[in-house]
Amino acid sequence: MAEPQLPKPPLMTLVKKTKLWKSIFRHDFTDTPKTRIQRIFGNVFLHLHPVRVSKEAIRVSYTWGLGGLSFYLFLVLTVTGILLMFYYRPTSLLAYQDMKDLTFAVTLGGFLRNMHRWAAHLMVVVVILHMVRVFLTGAYKPPREYNWVVGVILLVMTLFLSYTGYLLPWDQLALWAVTVGAQMAANSPLLGNEGPFKLPFITTANDARFGLIGGTVINDATLIRFYVLHCVAVPFIFTFFLMVHFWRVRKDGFSKQTGEKVDVWPHLVSREFLAALLVTLILFVWSLVLQAPLEAQANLNVTPNPSKAPWYFLGLQELLVYFDPWIAGVVLPTIIVIGLMAMPYVDTNPKGVGYWAKMGWRKVGPVPIWYPVERPFAVNVFMLGTLMWFVLIFIGTYCRGPNWEWYWPGELWSHRRLTKMTLKNIPNLWGALLMGAYFALGTPLPQAIKARLSRLAGPKAPRLASLLMHAGLGMTMALAIFIPILTAPDAEYPVRSNSPTLFEALGRSTNAPVVSAMYRLVQEAGAGGYAMIGVMILATGALLGWLGVQLAKLKDRLFEQKGLIKYSLIIGLFLMMMGVIGKILLRLLFGVKYVFSLPAFNFNI
Amino acid sequence: MKRVLFLLLTAALALVFLVTIAQDRHRGWVKYQRQFLGTLKGAERRGIARGVHQTIVQGLDRVDRCTTCHLAATKPQLGLAEQPFTAHPGQYLQWHPVEKFGCTVCHGGQGLATEVKAAHGEVPHWEEPLLRGPLVQASCRQCHGEVSTIQEHAPLLVQGQQLFTAKGCYGCHAVHNFGQTVSVDLSEVGAKSHQLIEADFEMMPGPHNRIHWLRRKLAHPRVLNPGVPPEALPRGEEEVFPSSMPFFGLEMADIEALSVYLLSLKAEDLPASYVRPPHTPPEPTYASAVTRGRAVYEHYGCTACHGIGGVGGRRNPNNGLAEEAPSLLYVKAYYGDHVEALKQVIRQGRQPAPRADPHRPNPPLYMPAWKERLSEEDLEALIAYLFALSDRLPAAAVGDLL
Repeated sequence: MAEPQLPKPPLMTLVKKTKLWKSIFRHDFTDTPKTRIQRIFGNVFLHLHPVRVSKEAIRVSYTWGLGGLSFYLFLVLTVTGILLMFYYRPTSLLAYQDMKDLTFAVTLGGFLRNMHRWAAHLMVVVVILHMVRVFLTGAYKPPREYNWVVGVILLVMTLFLSYTGYLLPWDQLALWAVTVGAQMAANSPLLGNEGPFKLPFITTANDARFGLIGGTVINDATLIRFYVLHCVAVPFIFTFFLMVHFWRVRKDGFSKQTGEKVDVWPHLVSREFLAALLVTLILFVWSLVLQAPLEAQANLNVTPNPSKAPWYFLGLQELLVYFDPWIAGVVLPTIIVIGLMAMPYVDTNPKGVGYWAKMGWRKVGPVPIWYPVERPFAVNVFMLGTLMWFVLIFIGTYCRGPNWEWYWPGELWSHRRLTKMTLKNIPNLWGALLMGAYFALGTPLPQAIKARLSRLAGPKAPRLASLLMHAGLGMTMALAIFIPILTAPDAEYPVRSNSPTLFEALGRSTNAPVVSAMYRLVQEAGAGGYAMIGVMILATGALLGWLGVQLAKLKDRLFEQKGLIKYSLIIGLFLMMMGVIGKILLRLLFGVKYVFSLPAFNFNI
Repeated sequence: MKRVLFLLLTAALALVFLVTIAQDRHRGWVKYQRQFLGTLKGAERRGIARGVHQTIVQGLDRVDRCTTCHLAATKPQLGLAEQPFTAHPGQYLQWHPVEKFGCTVCHGGQGLATEVKAAHGEVPHWEEPLLRGPLVQASCRQCHGEVSTIQEHAPLLVQGQQLFTAKGCYGCHAVHNFGQTVSVDLSEVGAKSHQLIEADFEMMPGPHNRIHWLRRKLAHPRVLNPGVPPEALPRGEEEVFPSSMPFFGLEMADIEALSVYLLSLKAEDLPASYVRPPHTPPEPTYASAVTRGRAVYEHYGCTACHGIGGVGGRRNPNNGLAEEAPSLLYVKAYYGDHVEALKQVIRQGRQPAPRADPHRPNPPLYMPAWKERLSEEDLEALIAYLFALSDRLPAAAVGDLL
């Protein structure tokens, strides 16, 4: 019995010697340079990473982990979505009942639904922030232009995924939010049954709306369509673009390459893990505290007032106030997407890659302003666009009540309040003149012409010519706004326009702020009032001209740098963006409904 | 630093997850079930499963989970004194077995819900509140087409239906193809969506639900729709008159009865096997043309505008005759010699009623056309009755007029 006891090897050591273990775990886990590398390229899930990466690039404050988090949220949505699919039947009779079952009977069902909902919202936010980050660190510049385009496609698909998912609960919120979008589709130019210049073969049964919702109203056909799009089709395509996106990130290299390199394992992987952990925690708390909305069952006979689109489309819905649906819902989004995609190809400025846009202080007169030093035009335009998008979303979300009337946040809504602003159209000839003068503001004065001018008429001639051109265009625009407002008969109240004086008609026909102010000036100051109005018109023209002159230097430089095609694209997109602001001001201040209108073709701007 | 962060986040996540599970395990109903089971002896507990109880009613496409908390509703021998553990009163469950009817088809509320407020339908975005107290009688009419046969069990419903005719509501409101179209069709008023009466809610205090709205509307018709006076309007817009539904001066009991009847008006979408259709009433016989005319006058709801016995006095803004619907006491004086003209007025109606002030909008009430609804015999009888009305006037007054 005195056999010497051999020390038993620990169990783990034995297990690690088995073939099974070795076939699954191909290397040991001691922290050596070799295993650090092996962990990355020996692992299918991690091998998208490079093995080593610049230390500067993985600073949290450089990327904020936004790209990785977008992907992580996509994974969260996939997992929660698959779990939800077990409890969901996409028919109008059962879908809403299944929502109630999830809330009241399924274990953790409500939590699951909340998490899916909030993760979707968070993903939209994170994807947009990721795009802003990429822009501000210049990470879309060569050689990464193509990946930026893929990213824009992924953004659009993220929004579309969210939109298709919005219908599935089959409640009033879902039905009417989707209706807003479906109506926009019906108003597409050429392809929409209610849009401008619809093609001869377009009917309600083959137009863009039919393609989207499978009918003229939202019903079971829409539900199954959106279900398949949301759960299968779009995620499938999304995954493909995601693969391309990741592949290009690896192939093009990270936007910051300078400085000391560190191992991705553990430096980057640990950061990614912590970020994912943090977001999961946020989502858990969010889902625990806040319930996903579920309103009454969808009912086509009862329209909620107001019916609002999902928040990320509320900017577009708010634009419906200022533009017809085919512009607000189809043309403008298309231009936004095209503009975003074109950006890396027209922005040929090589500066600003790999660090956040450098900001500096400059004095304009006595006012110090904070501005981007290296690529002022690009950053300003992009940030202005982004800001506009979110301001419109804010207005749509918090400042619009029944009948889409303006309410301040916190103000009580009233379904009895009546529309206050009366509107009129600018006659087409004036409108065409106004828009023509506006877009003519984009004309540059090329170097060749400047040189010829100074040869002909002395060194000051080019400046004078530019001044004349812009002042002329500004004055034309001012006149094209004011004259028709003062003189054009009012379509909606023809009888009232027969009033004795010009301003009598004016004061009665529209109550927009500027028009009312002019009316009161005339009432209270008589001839002086007319004079003051004249001065006001001249001042408006001068202001517009001055703005043009301010842009002149930039325009001429851009034209010389970019050449005609890129310049036209840039300035066209820029003018269209500013034109949206212009139209908003025309509507709010002057009560102008359409600048140009061809009712026979449903073509109104 | 990272390790600490990792530990903290993981711990927090685990904690939140545990909280989530705990919350899920302790939904509202768990407490009630434990409480009820605690009062039972071992043998009694047999057969009562823990967990969500539900009745799946195939015929009605309903799933009712009410018995999750109302555990003794179907087991009278276990019933306790206090809610939610009382047994269902009366023999109603013998007549309407729970397996065939469920609960919510009669009581309203949200059958799928398992939390008290949500289950009782007293939460936003649920259109069917619990019909408390006598209001539950409103549900009987879904199947019992002939409510007089269940008068004993649904007295308010029967009373409400009679009041609806007696007050002349049919003169302006249609219910299932009977009645005029001067005002809104009430065929589905018992299921009217909250979103359609949101504007009215602004004009009333208290709970904003359909039941309260009906009571309010019946008691003070104009308060909920006060209209918009011209000075509150943008230039060029026409003024909006207040609701021209007459003030009937109803008693509380009448309001309750009418509310029950109105709540019973819903889309009839129950399967035929549940429904007992009303039987057609026998053709009534009348002692004289005047009695028949009076029956016609009341049956078709002329009283609503022209008053009981034709005394008139109902307000009709901007109407030519002192802004009121005309009294019928002078019909004989005007049309005594022109019966055809009177018939024409009744047949064609006056749409719109003549305006007092041509710059203000049309009077909201108008005489509808009756030619498709009244038979020739009924019309003759009605005219006989209208002529008889003038007999009530003091002789001198008639003499003066003539």
